Amino acid sequence: MSLEATKGRMLTFNIFRYDPQEPGDKPKMVKYQLEETPGMTVFIALNRLREEQDTSLQFDFVCRAGICGSCAMVINGFPTLACRTLTRKYPKGDIMLMPLPGFELIGDLSVNTGKFMRELAERLKLWLHPISDDLDVHRLEAPMDPVEAAKLYELERCVECGVCVSACATKQMRETFVGAVGMMKLARFELDSRDGRGLEDYYHVIGNQDGVFGCMTLLGCQDNCPKDLPHMQQIAYLRRKMAVTLV
Amino acid sequence: MRIIKNRGKLSGWLDISQSASGVVLAVFLWTHLLLVSSILLGKDAMTWVAKTMELSFLTADGHGYPWVVTVIAVVIAAIVLVHVLVAAHKMPLNLRQQKALKQQLSMVNHGDTRLWVWQAVTGVVIFLLLPVHLWLIGAAPETIGPYGSADRIWQQGVWLLYLPLLFCVELHAAIGVYRVAVKWGAVRDLNSRSRLKKIKSIISAIFIVVGIASLLAFLPYANA
Repeated sequence: MSLEATKGRMLTFNIFRYDPQEPGDKPKMVKYQLEETPGMTVFIALNRLREEQDTSLQFDFVCRAGICGSCAMVINGFPTLACRTLTRKYPKGDIMLMPLPGFELIGDLSVNTGKFMRELAERLKLWLHPISDDLDVHRLEAPMDPVEAAKLYELERCVECGVCVSACATKQMRETFVGAVGMMKLARFELDSRDGRGLEDYYHVIGNQDGVFGCMTLLGCQDNCPKDLPHMQQIAYLRRKMAVTLV
Repeated sequence: MRIIKNRGKLSGWLDISQSASGVVLAVFLWTHLLLVSSILLGKDAMTWVAKTMELSFLTADGHGYPWVVTVIAVVIAAIVLVHVLVAAHKMPLNLRQQKALKQQLSMVNHGDTRLWVWQAVTGVVIFLLLPVHLWLIGAAPETIGPYGSADRIWQQGVWLLYLPLLFCVELHAAIGVYRVAVKWGAVRDLNSRSRLKKIKSIISAIFIVVGIASLLAFLPYANA
């Protein structure tokens, strides 16, 4: 079947609309119809809707390739990236779009994940704390073991899309809970041989009910992460590490 | 000068004791149901189990010490109390949390979160029903046996308590053990997680069937 011969079916989008900036605006679900094209993603569809039907529609995107993490939203009940979701996945052609829960709403499908991520990074100190404070830039860095580098790289793949936070009922119930993204990033520094922080230091930050001991292992993070990061294993790893420091 | 070292170890110990008490209770529960199901093999088997639990082999006249059962009931009640007090930290207790959970469930489709809700609901039901069960058994340990238990279950209508308790406790325990295994990393890859999830459903189903069969097996002894 050639692409030209395919008459696209009609997709129905049911989109959450609310602009907190506009006085008197009320949250509502609005229906849009759009003809499907081959290889269409939810991200492409949203751009066409905005160009052709409603210029006021708000949503975020940058890279359209699953790298920037901007276009995360709840698509038919699953928090994920719009740019990596093919409309073909939905046989009925009904697609419901909601903004990620748990973040400040900018408008419609756009949420302020950046503000959250920055606050989290400052709170958990998510940057490298070098072992020595010797800041001689002329000194050659010690090479890193490739196995260790590969482990770190695996965790560095996080794009801070916010899906794990939205998919976590624990986080929704407890605002101060750090969520999978925070624990993932801390685990990354815990594994890094250049970082001077020890288990005691990490315990101060996540050895409590806002961290690993408040996580109820609902695994929304693991099951929805668009980058397939190993949240389940990492959180269990941190939990065991933290538990070991108790004795 | 004394350096104050307060890093709050309590939350860690609480989380560990929730998992540990849960696993102990689950193991007890499954053992308990297997012992009770001896009624399926006939009244002699059940009598033997009941007597052995009362340590009849230690006494010359074979009467044993029924208070051993009372002691077990008290110990279980204590472990349950620990489990409840710690697990309560994880429950959505105020209205804001309950609304957040409700919205999350309506917005995000996620199986393991729904499993947890079932665990929370069954946990509350168990918390309400279990003390009655422990009291009935702990206060009259000598009545345990094919005829005494049958009388309790069917003549005194305690099946009304046992049936919902059986369903709740078997769901709660299997889901809980699955969660503990995942939580502490006993299950590492996603394939074994989905396998364990299937196994835990099968365990729930088997024990519920065995439990119902055992309750029915007491019927013939109820009017005797």
